[in-house]
Amino acid sequence: MLRYIIKRLVFAIPTLFAVSIIAFIIIQLPPGDYLTTLLADWASQGGAVEAGTVAAMRERYGLDQPMYFQYYKWMWGILTQGDFGISFELGKPVTELIWNRLGFSLLLSLLTLCFVWAVAIPIGILSAVRQYSISDYGATFLAFFFLAVPDFLMALSAMYVMSAWFGQSVGGLFSPDYIDAGWSFGKLIDFAKHVWLPVIVIGLGSLAALVRIMRANLLDELSKPYVTTARAKGMSEFELLIRYPVRLALNPLISTLGWILPAVISGEIIVSVVMSLPTTGPLLLRALLAQDMYLAGSLILLISVLTIIGTLISDILLALTDPRIRFQ
Amino acid sequence: MGYQQKLRGLVLSTGLLTTALMGTMAWAADYKQAPMLDAQVKDGKIPAVEQRLPEKPYVETMIDGVGKYGGTLRTTILANGDQYNLTRTIANELLVRWDPQWKKVVPSLAEEFKASDDATTYTFKLRKGLKWSDGQPFNADDIMFWYEDVFMNAALSPAKNPTFTVAGKPVKVTKIDDLTVEFKFESPYGLFIQQLAYGQGHLPVIYPKHYLQQFHEKYNKDGIPALLKANPAAGDWVALFNSKISLTFQPQFWQNLQLPTMNPWILTTAYADSDRVVATRNPYYWKVDTAGNQLPYIDGITWAKLDDPQLMALKMTSGEFDFAFRHINNATFKSVLFDGQKTGNYKFVDVKDLPANDAVILLNLNSTDPVKKKIFQNKDFRIGLSQAINRQEIIDLVWVGQGAPAQVALQPEHELFNEREATQYTKYDPKAAAAVLDTVLPKKDAEGFRLDETGKRFTINFMVADVFGLSYPDVMQMVQKYAKDVGIDIQLRTTDRARLNTMWSANEQDAYIWNCVGGLSEVYTDPRCYMPFQKADIFFAMKWSEWYSNHATGEEPPQAIKDLMAAYDKVNAAVTDDDRRQKMKDFLNLSADNFLNIGISRPMPKYMMTSTNLKNVVNGIPITGNLWHPAPTLTQWYFDKPTK
Repeated sequence: MLRYIIKRLVFAIPTLFAVSIIAFIIIQLPPGDYLTTLLADWASQGGAVEAGTVAAMRERYGLDQPMYFQYYKWMWGILTQGDFGISFELGKPVTELIWNRLGFSLLLSLLTLCFVWAVAIPIGILSAVRQYSISDYGATFLAFFFLAVPDFLMALSAMYVMSAWFGQSVGGLFSPDYIDAGWSFGKLIDFAKHVWLPVIVIGLGSLAALVRIMRANLLDELSKPYVTTARAKGMSEFELLIRYPVRLALNPLISTLGWILPAVISGEIIVSVVMSLPTTGPLLLRALLAQDMYLAGSLILLISVLTIIGTLISDILLALTDPRIRFQ
Repeated sequence: MGYQQKLRGLVLSTGLLTTALMGTMAWAADYKQAPMLDAQVKDGKIPAVEQRLPEKPYVETMIDGVGKYGGTLRTTILANGDQYNLTRTIANELLVRWDPQWKKVVPSLAEEFKASDDATTYTFKLRKGLKWSDGQPFNADDIMFWYEDVFMNAALSPAKNPTFTVAGKPVKVTKIDDLTVEFKFESPYGLFIQQLAYGQGHLPVIYPKHYLQQFHEKYNKDGIPALLKANPAAGDWVALFNSKISLTFQPQFWQNLQLPTMNPWILTTAYADSDRVVATRNPYYWKVDTAGNQLPYIDGITWAKLDDPQLMALKMTSGEFDFAFRHINNATFKSVLFDGQKTGNYKFVDVKDLPANDAVILLNLNSTDPVKKKIFQNKDFRIGLSQAINRQEIIDLVWVGQGAPAQVALQPEHELFNEREATQYTKYDPKAAAAVLDTVLPKKDAEGFRLDETGKRFTINFMVADVFGLSYPDVMQMVQKYAKDVGIDIQLRTTDRARLNTMWSANEQDAYIWNCVGGLSEVYTDPRCYMPFQKADIFFAMKWSEWYSNHATGEEPPQAIKDLMAAYDKVNAAVTDDDRRQKMKDFLNLSADNFLNIGISRPMPKYMMTSTNLKNVVNGIPITGNLWHPAPTLTQWYFDKPTK
């Protein structure tokens, strides 16, 4: 087991380097750089920008150097000092910006995951056990309906309904009174009042896939001889279901656990933008638009790292829950 | 000659130097302050209001009348890349300012100013007793700090800001006494006072010496290494200095809560730290109303940082904002916002955001392709193309009737309006267009497209970016069809703004479509669409504009263009308002003769939303790229019924 983990970790290192190089190149592929964005902004503010200032800034930011050198400098900072560079646009260290938002991203992902599992697993079981019944068709229809509705549209409609019909303040994770306040019981309540809407909006979109996976897996298991044997031994139908076939059917869900980590950074960018959530998604989008390359590069690098770690974690979890994988 | 100065609502126009009359008024001891400051004064945290105000505070001219204190103005900005809106809302305190009607320049931080007869030397006398927001005195030394240690410092200012240079030579600033400074230029610069009253004129008055000198090599050489150690994001003192203040109000400016300013509100929650930005009143603000109440009336401002304009509109209609303007004041949101006035408790206010034209076809007169260059430079070709366009149809179909057929020109309401310039060649007349094009490109191919002198089909590769919410791609598809009717082949190349930026900086485009500033008084200082001028976002003759700023670079333009440039130089050399207006009229006439680019539609006024409780709001507030609003009148806004 340990050998297996170490092997996986060693393989991860070259992958990470390759990803970071590709990420760095892709970020710089669009024409122009951060300064062209800045120039356009200035021009629309009524100011012409002197060539000298731009040249000096380009030099300060190191944007006039060849790409491989910029990459080398960035990587060197990360490896030797954990310094991911600064955000040109905000003038703050990249790490500070990302840390500020990572907590909420993680929390939101976990809450969404809990919500999705809590809803999808019972529905999946129900529609497998009652295959081709009204409840099966009903649940499947709903799940596919939410899969088909674009999430930003769902976010907009949900916010409109909550705001116009129920008079609730929507957008963000806190009401204005609590935004700058320290954590308190009141703030927690306020958070709970706000967080459920994005959790549901994000969760509903991924419901269908899990319901269908659960249903298909369970159907495979239900027809197997061990189920018949257990039933013949007089085990109660519910106990039987939960103890054996459901446990096996959960395996694929565990393997999707690993996807959550990268989704913490990049997931649901559009919903986050529409609902103004203080997560890393909007930060990444703006960094890409403004060509704020160290910020964008660090976020993409982080996503890759988390993807690799996430896959590793789900592999380990699988091995723990399913002895068959462990002994292969 | 004197500048008119407006003080206490009186217009005093006299000879060389108008001496201010105010300040000795009887109510000098009757100054009042906001109730929220009473406790601080009582506790001795800040001095009494008489000591905080300058000897002769700036007396604001009220729009509706004297207001009441209190309330928080709730408004919004985009979560990223929207620091400009903070600037436009609270950071526009200058030596001199435009009056709310954008008609003339009056003293502001300066108590008075005078210009020399040759328009080269300007003297400013500051109000006595002005204080930064931390209570430290503001005086000539702060302006000298900006001039000697920032503006003239090659590391901090590698290139000199064009507002403070003329013909490539930077200004010379000298301190006369503690309250008086003199700005001297080598050649006439009659537009300097106007320039200084725009947003970009803030440079001399945003550098508090007592605070910033600790980050400057000249003043704190020994202390800087320790400061750098504490601030790992900065590699040297220049980066350190630039991280404390930003000359263009970049995010660094809105991140530094310690930075003293002269603004009416000061930050308490910085730009990148939270889901909102918060500012509270500056107890040392130096303006009063006509009854001696220290401004501003409103206690604080909060900007909710939202990522999406749709959410802004939703929150506006649910009554979560008292004021909103940018990002949602376009056609997309108008009907929703109109319907939401009742639930949102707001009303519409006209905004005169009136450029010279909403959509301008900019043919590249300096194209690197010699054949195209010759054709584009032919005025008859531009006339033919202009007459081929059915402007009314574009306005009706694309902009649902919002607009009027026009060339690049001043708005009809402005005193410089020139009817010929606005309407010439705007009549849709394909026959006349074909006739005039026959004189330029007589030969056609089998498909009816005109051939250039080398016998190839003449094709314009037209760059179109979908910007400003003005549906340029739709506009250009119609123009393409009209051009085809008269035998001109236009190939549309859809692109984004960044790519277009790169192209025009490298002079690679044949043509593109953009909007044009210069619909109101900004035309004096920014005639970028009326002649080859500074390079900002209008690039129809970049080689000529390079030549204009420095004769050693670019390409020498033909005589007609040189005459046009000379006419603008005369505007800049004029000293009196009347003379300047006359010279500007001559220049605009000459610009109309040259007919450099093809306009499509004259813009209509835009709108903003303010709470129905807010008073003293200018209806028909004028704004443009460098005339920042609502900052100049925001201090007098007040809630008739404070929300809390």
